[in-house]
Amino acid sequence: MNGPDLKSTMSSNAGSQSAASAALLSVRALEKRYRTKSGEEVQALKQINVDLADGEFVSVLGPSGCGKTTLLKIIVGIVPPSAGTLSLRGAPISGPQAGMGVVFQSSVLLPWWTVLENVLLPIRVLKLDLAANRKKARDLLALVGLKGFENSYPGELSGGMQQRAAIVRGLIHDPGILLMDEPFGALDAMTRERMNVELQRIWLSTAKTVFFITHSVSEAVFLSDRVLVLSARPGTLVDEIKVPFPRPRNIDLMSTAEFGDLTRRLRGALGGGEATHD
Amino acid sequence: MTEAAKARPRRGLTSTFAVLASVGVGILIWQCTIWFTDVPSYVLPAPKAVWTALVDGLARSPTERSSFWFHLIDTLKATVSGFLIGAMLGVVFAACMAESRLIETAALPYVVGLQSLPKVAIAPLMVIWLGYGIESKVAMAAVLTLFPVLINALAGFRSAGRDRLELMAALAASRFQVFRFIKFPGALSMIFTGLNIGIVYAMLGTIVSEFTGAQRGMGVIMTQMQSVSDTAGVFAALVVLACTGYVLISIMRIAQNYVVFWSESTVREVET
Repeated sequence: MNGPDLKSTMSSNAGSQSAASAALLSVRALEKRYRTKSGEEVQALKQINVDLADGEFVSVLGPSGCGKTTLLKIIVGIVPPSAGTLSLRGAPISGPQAGMGVVFQSSVLLPWWTVLENVLLPIRVLKLDLAANRKKARDLLALVGLKGFENSYPGELSGGMQQRAAIVRGLIHDPGILLMDEPFGALDAMTRERMNVELQRIWLSTAKTVFFITHSVSEAVFLSDRVLVLSARPGTLVDEIKVPFPRPRNIDLMSTAEFGDLTRRLRGALGGGEATHD
Repeated sequence: MTEAAKARPRRGLTSTFAVLASVGVGILIWQCTIWFTDVPSYVLPAPKAVWTALVDGLARSPTERSSFWFHLIDTLKATVSGFLIGAMLGVVFAACMAESRLIETAALPYVVGLQSLPKVAIAPLMVIWLGYGIESKVAMAAVLTLFPVLINALAGFRSAGRDRLELMAALAASRFQVFRFIKFPGALSMIFTGLNIGIVYAMLGTIVSEFTGAQRGMGVIMTQMQSVSDTAGVFAALVVLACTGYVLISIMRIAQNYVVFWSESTVREVET
């Protein structure tokens, strides 16, 4: 287990300008405004500052419609920010980066390709060595428990399995950061808990930095080193808590008093709103 | 799944029986009309006469001008090559229009103009331009195939899901990559919808062109039979055309199920 040394990289430099150079990814004074069809201006995100350190697992928790997905899409580079800067290892970035992997709310697997072909999509698009990565794809698929399903088509897989394949696709080109947008939101409660344990295992064995969007308080606490709380529109970061539990975490952790204390605090920060239902 | 598998052969048997019974009743009504009314045979020939004409036309060697094969081969050649040309052009035009606003705007008056035109009406023009050989038939078949394929392919290229496009955008994929990996395979199901209509239209275009002016083809032999009031022969030619059309449509179905194997609608079509 490489949990302990990953934990030591945990940092809480959100918002501190001096630590920006040490951060893998930093987001500064990010704003997003847009116009609705009726012409009124909506402020989706306001003054967002985030720093991610190497190997950190950070979650953003917020009610539906608070702009969490927009924040992720801005970081991914497929939605332009209205103001603010993004930098990766100190260098300013705009637009999509090969150093990032993304897992969306739905698996977005292409039905005309096998699982193996699907997870190799980033390799093809980025024109990397296909032959060399095929072996890696098989290894990663085995890691997420999809050994034997390489040549299956996505339609033959369950929702949980499809999302595991999507995680492999997010990791295949070895990005520094994995960005995940409510990847388990569409799964049933039991599958979701199992996927949380799985994701922790995958994260511990790949040592990636993960930026995880969710509206589930318990999911955020269970998985993260740090949880950032995004308020309802306009989305601003209203709280940040560090999660001190050692890794690997067991699902029984969820029923301990300490876990309850953290989730209660987060629910308080969310204002007891809609994000508390699970 | 298992229940469906059990139910299927029985349903298949029932429907085979229903089809045979329906055809039988149809022929019976036809025969009764001949027996109990005095419709002259040049208006409605007896089933037996049509059958004789059919067997006679098919039994002759393909080298004879009175053989159905002699004409059918030419009709098929024109239909298939016109279909292939029209389908290819339809997909290529649709791709250009889907990828470029400018091309789309420029093509719009032609598309709208040709769409509002009953396209078989250009058959005489094709004969003037391309003569009485196979070329004018191929051109007609191609023109008639082009439109349903173009319209459906265009809708298919446009229907690429937002989440798939975002996935590609996150990888900074080029437009060509987006087209090749996402838009084209995603449009295949709709392209086949266009191709299924297109193959029927291609044969229609060929026959109309043969009526207008050609040296060979099923349309030619039918016009000849018409001029000598060989109604049984015309009926027999129609049977040949219907069977040929059925074979072509079946080939398209099989190709569709093979190519677009992942599509929900494909699976459903196989079962029914």
